[in-house]
Amino acid sequence: MNKLGRGHRDKVHQFVAITGASEDVALKALKASEWHLEGAFDVFYSQLQLRSKTDNRRLEELYNRYRDPYADMITADGITYLCNDLMVDPQDIVMLVLSWHMKAATMCEYSKQEFISGLQSLGIDSLEKFRDRIPYMRNELKDEHKFREIYNFSFAWAKEKGQKSLALDTAIGMWQLLFDERKWPLIEHWCQFLQVRHNKAISRDTWSQLLEFVRNVDPQLSNYDSEGAWPYLIDEFVEYLLENCIVQRG
Amino acid sequence: MSNQKKRTFQIEAFKHRVVVDPKYAEKTWKILEHAIHEIYNHNASGLSFEELYRNAYNMVLHKFGDKLYYGLVATMTAHLKEISKSIEAAQGGSFLEELNRKWTDHNKALQMIRDILMYMDRTFVPTTHKTTVHDLGLNLWKEHVVHSVNIQTRLLNTLLDLILRERTGEVINRGLMRNIINMLMDLGSSVYQEDFEKPFLDVSSDFYRVESQQFIECCDCGDYLKKAERRLNEEIERVSHYLDAKSESKITEVVEKEMIANHMQRLVHMENSGLVKMLLDDKYEDLGRMYNLFRRVDNGLSTLKEVMTSHLRDTGKQLVTDPERLKDPVEFVQRLLDEKDKYDKIIHLAFNNDKSFQNALNSSFEYFMNLNARSPEFISLFVDDKLRKGLKGVSEEDVEIVLDKVMMLFRYLQEKDVFEKYYKQHLAKRLLSGKTVSDDAERSLVVKLKTECGYQFTSKLEGMFSDMKTSVDTMQGFYASQGADLGDGPTLTVQVLTTGHWPTQPCPPCNLPSELLPICEKFRSYYLGTHTGRRLTWQTNMGTADIKATFGKGQKHELNVSTYQMCVIMLFNNTDQLTYKEIEQATEIPALDLKRCLQSLACVKGKNILRKEPMSKDIGENDVILFNEKFSSKFYKVKIGTVVAQKESEPEKQETRQRVEEDRKPQIEAAIVRIMKSRKVLDHNNIITEVTKQLQSRFLPNPVEIKKRIESLIERDFLERDNVDRKLYRYLA
Repeated sequence: MNKLGRGHRDKVHQFVAITGASEDVALKALKASEWHLEGAFDVFYSQLQLRSKTDNRRLEELYNRYRDPYADMITADGITYLCNDLMVDPQDIVMLVLSWHMKAATMCEYSKQEFISGLQSLGIDSLEKFRDRIPYMRNELKDEHKFREIYNFSFAWAKEKGQKSLALDTAIGMWQLLFDERKWPLIEHWCQFLQVRHNKAISRDTWSQLLEFVRNVDPQLSNYDSEGAWPYLIDEFVEYLLENCIVQRG
Repeated sequence: MSNQKKRTFQIEAFKHRVVVDPKYAEKTWKILEHAIHEIYNHNASGLSFEELYRNAYNMVLHKFGDKLYYGLVATMTAHLKEISKSIEAAQGGSFLEELNRKWTDHNKALQMIRDILMYMDRTFVPTTHKTTVHDLGLNLWKEHVVHSVNIQTRLLNTLLDLILRERTGEVINRGLMRNIINMLMDLGSSVYQEDFEKPFLDVSSDFYRVESQQFIECCDCGDYLKKAERRLNEEIERVSHYLDAKSESKITEVVEKEMIANHMQRLVHMENSGLVKMLLDDKYEDLGRMYNLFRRVDNGLSTLKEVMTSHLRDTGKQLVTDPERLKDPVEFVQRLLDEKDKYDKIIHLAFNNDKSFQNALNSSFEYFMNLNARSPEFISLFVDDKLRKGLKGVSEEDVEIVLDKVMMLFRYLQEKDVFEKYYKQHLAKRLLSGKTVSDDAERSLVVKLKTECGYQFTSKLEGMFSDMKTSVDTMQGFYASQGADLGDGPTLTVQVLTTGHWPTQPCPPCNLPSELLPICEKFRSYYLGTHTGRRLTWQTNMGTADIKATFGKGQKHELNVSTYQMCVIMLFNNTDQLTYKEIEQATEIPALDLKRCLQSLACVKGKNILRKEPMSKDIGENDVILFNEKFSSKFYKVKIGTVVAQKESEPEKQETRQRVEEDRKPQIEAAIVRIMKSRKVLDHNNIITEVTKQLQSRFLPNPVEIKKRIESLIERDFLERDNVDRKLYRYLA
């Protein structure tokens, strides 16, 4: 607070007075809305909706509904059951978003801690609320910032425990899922290229840099910079596109 | 003096009352005027200097300086006008002579007049800011003679005409020319320049333009340059004889421009006689001349350099890509050395050891030598050949010379690490087969490589040498301690090689002949007795053997063979024929080596101590090998199958190349880590530059490879990409 200017300090005070929130929360909300009080209120109240008190007992009940009978965690079967209840396909990308919220370590299983804290942060303690949240989670994918976080998260989530790289098949599956959501015209060619030319696991650097490539370079490659420090796999991909005349270099 | 008062005495100046005759000035002037006339008429001897001087002195003193001065001007002017007329009247050749004569006269007269009028010069002239008598005389001469309408142009034309005649080969009166030119110079540098030098330069320019055009149409380059040089020297000589020294640079500039600069491109590129032909034919004199002449003009030398460089690059490129030449590596390298010698000589003899030409030579060699990826291998083969036999009987200094030349070629290589690999292989073979001509030469070369590339490069090589020496000592020790026990058995010489030093490939052991096993075991236990903790493996693909053999008719020969060959041959002690399969089983020699081995024993004319059925060149799985009773040779000692370094076959070449590439990866990574550790944060392009710089003494790293190594280091958490700027990398401690 000491570092703020007079005007900003005043706004924080006002915010706290009206909403009864703590100074930290006030700061966050105001910053998010670029110091517009009205905007800050919006942010605060929308979050409030999420962070509404969740009943811990109800959460336990939910967890127990899906947990594996032999281990203290939710495994693939439990997840399928959950998806049924939510009327969502297990392959649906919204499950990825859900895993992201839970900060799940690996796919096809949720630890108790992950499940409960994830649901808490979403303000869910009943199946009804759960179903209500689905559209909200779907929408999050439209946010560029969040999409990137989810995208990067999915690398660690999708790879085998203890491996450093992501198996090619899994990677392709994930990419197809993700880029179905956020369209990329070259996705098919990319997957083909990998299968024909690369045939090895995907490194984290390549994974994260691919998104940058998708976001920054247009599908006609008109602004591709060969000196641009792209991972060599992406350079090879560009060559592949040019060689096979999929893209003409102007 | 009438008063009685006391008075101080005053002494006053003695006032001599001189009555100045009004006509005095006129009279005095007339005397002087007359004297001047006499002087000009060469009648000065009758005059009294003292009297005239006094008269002039008096005139000035009595304030008649003006009259004197202007009288002088009038008189002199009148005389000069006459003189001018007489000069104008002179015909033809005598024009200049007359001018010269009159000028000399005038100068003499002027001198005398000045002496007479010296008082005026020193007092009246400065105070009234008039020109001195001497300068006055010159100016009047200039005005009334040299610049007189009828003389000025005629003078210039006469001078230029004489020069033209001299240029066309006539002999002219140089003394006269000198005098006239000196006259112009005495009259003032602007007179010399305006009245003579400028027109002279213009006319010369035209002259040489025309002449150079003529020459260039009919002469070849060498002749033209000779002519140009001659003209240049002529002009310089001309200046020294009768022109102002300052004109030298101006006239040479004219010649240089007209004869050289304007035709530079045409000369250099002249077909069959231009620079390229001169280089090919080692025309040192012509080249030297061209260098000296071109040095004088702007861009002259750079033009020469350019043409030489592109010619050299083309020839070099042809050399290294010509498939004929590539068949013999030794020839190939020799040709490169010859080419280098040739150009060194040219630069030394004709181009004045010019450094920039030397640099051009170096960069050209570097360019085309690296066009052929096998250059490093070939150079190593060349060295190998020399050290095996080429330098036999050559004196020490000559050996050094050859090795130094090879080092020069070595420096041009970009992939020095490839050379290192091959050199090690070849050296190993030389050492082990004992086929090196001179140990000193070997060591000398290693020292040179160390100086060039550092200790790292040569530490393993030196290890090889020391292994050889140690082995000799070991053998001595072995025989000293075991000698008595060995009796009649085969003699064994072992070289113990330290694994890290030698480029050995893993060699599956083969079965040694039973006759050898005892002594081999004895050696093993002897060695391991003194060196516990070490492991010995027989390198059966590298040894040699000397075998005494008796053939059908009792001919005895001593055969020098490789270890593999020995294993095969010894089998025939017990039988006269074997199938390929049997040999393979008995010896366990790898198939490819075995086939090669059998080929060398059975299919080479003059060395076929075995024969085979069928008699084809290749070894088939079902062939039968027989002892050749009928073998004969002129020599007692027969050498079969060498382990000579040869140009690698394609698959071998690929393998070596791959190994080199593999070796490069850790070097690149080490360089990246070193750089990032000190810089902490660096962007992609700068990393590439720095890495290339660090490694350039060994090889030229491929930017794509560097990128891959960076990614590998990111994988292993040595580096990370910056979150905001993806081109930036950070070192992770």
